[in-house]
Amino acid sequence: MRVVVDHSLCEGNGRCVEVAGGIFELRDDDRSYVIEEQPPSSLRAKVELAVSLCPRQAIRIIED
Amino acid sequence: MRAEGAIGFMGELTLDAVDIVNPDLYVQRGYPHAEWALLRREAPAYYYERPDVDPFWAITRHADIVNISRQPGLFKSIQRLFVAVNEPNSPPPDEAILRQLLNMNPPEHGAYRGVVNRRFTPRSVQQLTAGIERITTEVLDEIVGRDECDFVTEVSAKLPLAVIAEMFGIPRADWPLMFRLSNEMIGPSDPEYASAATITETVERARMEFFQYFSGLVEDRRKSPRDDLSSALANGQVNGEQLPIFELLSYFALLIIAGNETTRNATTGGLHAFIDNPDQWERLKRDPTLVPKAVEEILRWISPVIQFTRKATEDTEIAGQKIREGDEVALFYPSANRDESVFAAPNKFDIGRYPNHHIAFGIGEHFCLGANLARLELQVMFRQLAERVEAVALTGPIQRMRSCFVGGIKHMPVRIKVRARN
Repeated sequence: MRVVVDHSLCEGNGRCVEVAGGIFELRDDDRSYVIEEQPPSSLRAKVELAVSLCPRQAIRIIED
Repeated sequence: MRAEGAIGFMGELTLDAVDIVNPDLYVQRGYPHAEWALLRREAPAYYYERPDVDPFWAITRHADIVNISRQPGLFKSIQRLFVAVNEPNSPPPDEAILRQLLNMNPPEHGAYRGVVNRRFTPRSVQQLTAGIERITTEVLDEIVGRDECDFVTEVSAKLPLAVIAEMFGIPRADWPLMFRLSNEMIGPSDPEYASAATITETVERARMEFFQYFSGLVEDRRKSPRDDLSSALANGQVNGEQLPIFELLSYFALLIIAGNETTRNATTGGLHAFIDNPDQWERLKRDPTLVPKAVEEILRWISPVIQFTRKATEDTEIAGQKIREGDEVALFYPSANRDESVFAAPNKFDIGRYPNHHIAFGIGEHFCLGANLARLELQVMFRQLAERVEAVALTGPIQRMRSCFVGGIKHMPVRIKVRARN
């Protein structure tokens, strides 16, 4: 599983950081960045929660 | 809030009798939760065809509203923002009263949103915390020692109005004007807010007054820019050019109206929910760390925006129903926020609920621009209320605004005892 954030959509609302802080971080440009691009499958539930909570629908999971 | 499912339990409610777009019913009974529950269960995409309404699909389930909101190309935003029974002398639904984010589509929508969205990110909004604390303290200080008050005009309305007006750099003397014009634009069919004989005239006058006022701000901020929202808009660019005047003035109006109507109603509705659920009020007072979760639950419970419409750009399917190109759908957010397939015990007001997938701010392309600001205002307000209110009770019925677009509460008479701040 690979995680990507579409920066043309992301506005830095930060819901992903709240629920999956080890995978995403907010940087100075007010956008969310993926810091763990290929998280272990044990974190899938967290990533999926981030995907579903993102108000701008900016996060995608790409399956290997 | 009326008793949940009161009509349903009597076994009289049927799909044919469901009425969810009559503003008078919203005044009399509040949100039609029993009707929405029936629609979710029996007809989650319901073709609403009545003599006095332009036909539309009522969409009531969480998953379908999210699905539609995620596809702004397939379901585009239109001039008619919401569905209501046709009333005499109202503006034609396709007329552009304002041209702003709510009726724009990609890529234009993103370009316009980009003019100010950096001012509404969590980080930008965080910098307003001290100001919001100060205003909240002042607002509550004013009712210290009072016995009774109208919680709407004396508390809920004041904080969001002051915050958005300060962000725009609007002098205090003009705040009442902003309040009046917002009410007239959002509730022109409510007798208390109508300024003229017809709905069209009330809206038209309010818009003219707004535009006149904002024109003055634009002129001033182009000459001498400041670090405020007015300057950002007046000097902002879309595709390398200044905003056309109609879109520019509409943008001002949108942010002023949206910035003070919805948070006002979430604040009033939130306190009302606590009055109805004293156990949750005690819980919040005992454990103020619950405030952020409580605010999310208030948003879910109150859902200040009732509906937005979209129009299908090609034939498609929702909840097993064939939606044709050109059909309009209305997305009922308060219904999604009580969807039993998403929320355990949806009709329970539970301030510890987590995770809370409510869509009170919408989702996707048109997700509320001011969500972070609204959250912060509500958190500061409810933290202070929990800390300072020693007793509160209703002294009369709440009065709702005549609208099936925004769930407005005009007045909420309370007996309230507020402590001075230490």
